Amino acid sequence: MAATGPTQFQSDEAPTSLLSATTLVGPATVFVAAGLVVPLAILLRYSFNHLDPRRVMVETFSLDNYVKFFADPYYTGVLLTTLRVAALCTVACLVLGLPLAYVLARTQSRFKNMLIMLVVLPLFVGNAVRAAGWMTLFGSKGFLNVTLTQFGVITEPLQIMYTESAVAAGIIAVNLPYMVLTLQSVIEGINRNVEEAAFSLGAGPMTMFRRVLLPLSLPGILAGTILTFILGMNAYATPVLLGGPKFKMMGPLVYGQFQLNNWPFGASVAFILMTATLGLTVTANILVQRRFRR
Amino acid sequence: MTVAPGWTSSRFVGRMALGTAAGVSLAYILLPMFFVIWLAFFVQEIPSFPPEGYSLKWFRAIPGNDRFVTGFLLSLQVAVVATSIGLALGVPAAVCLVRGRFTGRETVNNLLLLPLIVPGIVLGIALYVFHVETEIATGWPILGSLGGLVAGHVLIAIPWTVRLITASLVGMDRAVEEAAQSLGANRLITFRRVTLPAILPGIVAAALFGFIASFGNLEMSLFLVGPGRTTLPIAILQYLEWKIDPTIAAVSVLQILFVGGAMLLTDRFVKIGRVV
Repeated sequence: MAATGPTQFQSDEAPTSLLSATTLVGPATVFVAAGLVVPLAILLRYSFNHLDPRRVMVETFSLDNYVKFFADPYYTGVLLTTLRVAALCTVACLVLGLPLAYVLARTQSRFKNMLIMLVVLPLFVGNAVRAAGWMTLFGSKGFLNVTLTQFGVITEPLQIMYTESAVAAGIIAVNLPYMVLTLQSVIEGINRNVEEAAFSLGAGPMTMFRRVLLPLSLPGILAGTILTFILGMNAYATPVLLGGPKFKMMGPLVYGQFQLNNWPFGASVAFILMTATLGLTVTANILVQRRFRR
Repeated sequence: MTVAPGWTSSRFVGRMALGTAAGVSLAYILLPMFFVIWLAFFVQEIPSFPPEGYSLKWFRAIPGNDRFVTGFLLSLQVAVVATSIGLALGVPAAVCLVRGRFTGRETVNNLLLLPLIVPGIVLGIALYVFHVETEIATGWPILGSLGGLVAGHVLIAIPWTVRLITASLVGMDRAVEEAAQSLGANRLITFRRVTLPAILPGIVAAALFGFIASFGNLEMSLFLVGPGRTTLPIAILQYLEWKIDPTIAAVSVLQILFVGGAMLLTDRFVKIGRVV
């Protein structure tokens, strides 16, 4: 969930015999390879097939599904919406996540573990349950509209549900814990003395943050940004429940095609989604590393 | 808090601003759960504010609601079986990854953590076409079957197991094992009498995390459930696509309590702050 750095393996003993390594690590490896890599390969193959309404699917090898996607402004619009929402949510998560991550990393409070559990709990409760909370808040007679009306800010209830703003608000809340946990684990690894050194040399909090903490926590910021961006791109429950039937992002689009039994097109949409997500994160990774390499 | 050198008023203001920002962010994370819990106690069916009164009747109605009861039981069943298989496969693998030395270890480690990174929607549709192909090739009706659903959930339980067991093995002092071996214990006895008790908290945490991850899974399961077979998160999603009312809020509260309870239990074995 948080940044997965390379695991520190301690090994000073002789190489494990091939037999015992195979028996111990083999079953899990085979299971994951067969249950993940093979299905992804089949999915890729499906994406080059052709849908025949009478026979479900015809084996061919063409790029028609991909051409169909990029030639239709509806589908490219869905992709652009998804990119926009994911980028917006990632920036918001970074801004909202940094202070909380810093406080959690540096606090000496005995409630620290409890605070972390409060951040983790929503992750496991599930997106649908949290979307229900936003629906209660955003509805035309929901808490937000009623409160704003009472204070005379608005006279007519605002349409918040089924808008991009509602979806973005929901996704930010879903992804924020991932960002916080990733940043927290990195900030905890930064020696506190470097901060004190900056202060004792006369730096104010903002200068210290900009010149010391920010450069040092950059790997965590990158990891957290990538993680939240991936999650934002692939959001499903939040856009379905808060965006309604008209608002489409890539995740619901994949499921919709699958429900229409259009497996080849659904498969290619899934691969466009995965490629767009991975391509952008890899590019961001390279750019940031090049920028900060000494 | 002691006054550190370089403690200035600007640092004090900075600290206040920081604390406020952190509080806002934590409140934002918890806000939707707060409203779900509030709604579950409304007396009226429509989620309008302010509530006309409070009641527990929605909770009392849950046991009579078949969709949610069967959904809960199926989720529970799948999570227990998938977690057990995940542990059986994941624990030996993690031990071998940390203690053993063989080529391709880093690759295997990354492969075993991969299911956490592949998006749920993509994983779900990939497993679906895999099941289609398997059924065509072998005639074995895996599509939409309980076995297929469980196998998918094993896939998300394995990375949690590997991750948590790896963490507890890395944190363990090698010298204890070496002492046991120098006193004449063979590898198996060393593992059973020394290593296993030391990583037991990690195993419990792995079991509970795998359980929680499986129990709450939505996106992948959407593609794997068959007719008449619905997990609790899917039942909640489908209900919410139709309407929001205190009934679904009450079900959500039970889910929050259940998951929260599992987390508190986990925390007794491994501090959650150290493993997530």
